[in-house]
Amino acid sequence: MQPAVRIPDRLDIPMPEIRRLAGGTGLYVLNAPQQEVTRLSLVYRAGTRFQSRPFTAATVMNLLAEGTEKYSAAEFSERFDFYGAHFETGIDRDYAVVTLCTLSRFLPQTLELLEEMTARPLFPVPELDIYRERRKQQLSVDRQKVSFRARELFTQALFGQEHPYGSFYDRDEFDALTQDVLQAFFRKHYTAGNCFAVVSGKAGSEEVQRIETFLASLPAGAGVSFADLPEPVTTPLVQERREEALQTAIRIGKRLFPRNHPDFIGMQVLSMVLGGYFGSRLISNLREDKGYTYGVFSAMVNLESAGYLAIATEVGAPFTRDAVREIFRELARLREEPVGAEELKIVKNMITGDLMRILDGPFGIADVTIESVQNGTDNGYVARYLEEVKAITPERLQELARRHLNEAGFVTVTVGAVDECAPDSDPVLPDVPKTASV
Amino acid sequence: MIDYQRYVLKNGLAVLAHRDPSASMAAVNLLYKVGARNENPSRTGFAHLFEHLMFGGSEHVPDFDLPVQLACGENNAFTCNDYTDYYMTLPKDNVETAFWLESDRMRGLALNDRSLEVQRKVVVEEFSQRYLNQPYGDLWLLMRPLAYERHPYRWPTIGMTPDHVREASMEEVRAFYEKYYVPNNAILSVAADLEPERVFELAESWFGEIPAGKPVRDAIPSEPPQTSARRLEVRRPVPASAIVIAFHIVGRTDPRFYAFDVMSDLLSSGNSSRLYRRLVKEERLFSSVNAYVTGDMDPGLFVLTGHLLPETSVQEGERVLWQELERLQREPVPEAELEKVRNKYESGVIFGDLNVMNKAMNLGYYEMLGDAGTVNREIDLYRSVTGERIRTEALETFRPEKSSTLLYLREDEN
Repeated sequence: MQPAVRIPDRLDIPMPEIRRLAGGTGLYVLNAPQQEVTRLSLVYRAGTRFQSRPFTAATVMNLLAEGTEKYSAAEFSERFDFYGAHFETGIDRDYAVVTLCTLSRFLPQTLELLEEMTARPLFPVPELDIYRERRKQQLSVDRQKVSFRARELFTQALFGQEHPYGSFYDRDEFDALTQDVLQAFFRKHYTAGNCFAVVSGKAGSEEVQRIETFLASLPAGAGVSFADLPEPVTTPLVQERREEALQTAIRIGKRLFPRNHPDFIGMQVLSMVLGGYFGSRLISNLREDKGYTYGVFSAMVNLESAGYLAIATEVGAPFTRDAVREIFRELARLREEPVGAEELKIVKNMITGDLMRILDGPFGIADVTIESVQNGTDNGYVARYLEEVKAITPERLQELARRHLNEAGFVTVTVGAVDECAPDSDPVLPDVPKTASV
Repeated sequence: MIDYQRYVLKNGLAVLAHRDPSASMAAVNLLYKVGARNENPSRTGFAHLFEHLMFGGSEHVPDFDLPVQLACGENNAFTCNDYTDYYMTLPKDNVETAFWLESDRMRGLALNDRSLEVQRKVVVEEFSQRYLNQPYGDLWLLMRPLAYERHPYRWPTIGMTPDHVREASMEEVRAFYEKYYVPNNAILSVAADLEPERVFELAESWFGEIPAGKPVRDAIPSEPPQTSARRLEVRRPVPASAIVIAFHIVGRTDPRFYAFDVMSDLLSSGNSSRLYRRLVKEERLFSSVNAYVTGDMDPGLFVLTGHLLPETSVQEGERVLWQELERLQREPVPEAELEKVRNKYESGVIFGDLNVMNKAMNLGYYEMLGDAGTVNREIDLYRSVTGERIRTEALETFRPEKSSTLLYLREDEN
């Protein structure tokens, strides 16, 4: 006998305590006093869109702990490792995030290291040389992977090489990076006024006080002005041939809008129906029915000034053409038929469950807080988001599909078996000019 | 520290329950003591293919994932050489759904030809995606049969070749299920804000009636001692040449295991570790280096790997890797360096224990090794490794005649 289940109607997310420091840095505190670990994230508006030379933004972030006047790279790593602490870095087009993870009892010692690296990095030339050689090699390896290559070509096809959201570069561009370029980027973007901080885990008054003292040491700087982004240039079809590839990486999607658009949440639900979970339409069709692939996904991607739908899969090379056709068929089905009631219920419950999982544990709430601040909202957003998800109807989803998922503007990228899905031989590919400026 | 209670049902199913009052989600882990190690050499990759079939529905459940999703849950599984693990998280209030689903597919799996046919194709695509269509993807397909001559660790969980998966028959699938997917060959572990008594009650009512199977007693061929160095050189269209050197070590439950674990951390855990600092940063010979232990139940491997920078010759790369092993044999490890890796290890355990799923998985894993209680002694066992012990094990193990070396070279390498 199947057990009954309970689905929460609403979720309440703790709101962080917000403290604003004199230098302009916001500190968001989520205290879990029973923990013995502390996690502090510094979120800088220093993503790749702000760089004027290729690879600058990531290189600056990755070389922060590679030498200051006080500590060499070796001394930094020796100390972090001795305290069993580590820092993680992450970068996207808009933001660079540096996160310290430490046992709370070593917070004073590890904060001192964090202060050195975020206030006074030197980007020593020998360390830059080592980093450059390693990254160049890694990039060559990554670009051999059909999935990595397809991801690069996909954002380029959506936005164009001249757009900061669409550009990618030859590995030899690393050679043009100098200490001066890095220093200039650091001075401009790694400032107290250009970042916010989120602390989670154990973060009582003692920890917060230490963190505030640390944040007060962040360099001041002139405000950063935002240049307007250029108009995106979309290329509907990009194919890269890999004769030897057993599988073809496929990326299909469409530029839509960022999170503040009134249709964003609805489109998130729709992309979940399409390919956001095991049992989704794309999984059921391409994997569980046809066995073309090990996995296929779709999601709405949110950037600060743009957003897009992305569908991603790797399929056996002989199935390339058919897989592309089936993906467009599933998109058409979303436009033509309302989503079934039971299917929509599953998706709503999945989204509820995903949120509950994120919010379980001290660091998930911190991640949500980071996202809220980036989006200019607060943690109340999660409750409103869930409310909107729960209220959504099949009619509304179909309306969204008709409005946003019509074939014009779609981009298809394949890396692998190319001629299998050349546009002239495949009537389901979107019928648009080769290069369209939107 | 993971407090837990243990209870064994009459049919042999071991149940472990850990209460975490801070968790709103429940983690349920079901481990079956069967993996690639139990496979027939002419049907490798079978345990993993079977794992896929476990999601095709059972007696009372036409689709496994659907009820999980309706209960706000999430689930998945993985297969390794020693075991197969099915895991799920769902809101605490809905935990009974996990018991219902897992007991139903342990009692009677709805196997059908169509599902087998599709999952064979899916697994062949998985083989391509992860092992064949990736730079360095086939490295362990080459390395395993070099390091092992007889033991089933000589093939990876995905199998020796996609052909074995393509040829799997329904008859074999049924026999495998009946032999290994029995309560006395499984471990159920739960981490949630639930009283252990409640967990045991649920286990009793959902799993209690499932009949025990015959005890599993597979005769796993043991690996004969290695007496001469083995080498294999291949050329591949990759941007950088790679070196892999492996040595046979002890099994996971041997007390000497911890010395190897510490040694691998000295060599490559963190940016201050020996290999990274000397070979990547100071001498600039490699773009990346790594050292690790496989941690298998039967005697496993101690592995060194490195990707060479373009100016480094393969001979030079091999020479400096050996030099670091010889240093472990020659020079006692300074106490401060030992303390560093111990702290790092301890911190890793504490960060890992923040997550209910990790805790449930760990309990199941250590129970499989023989005693769930070991999970709470790991830090002490790791800390008890002395510098002297390290030297002894290093001298015993890191010898040319006990090594297997794979040179995975870019096509234009000299």
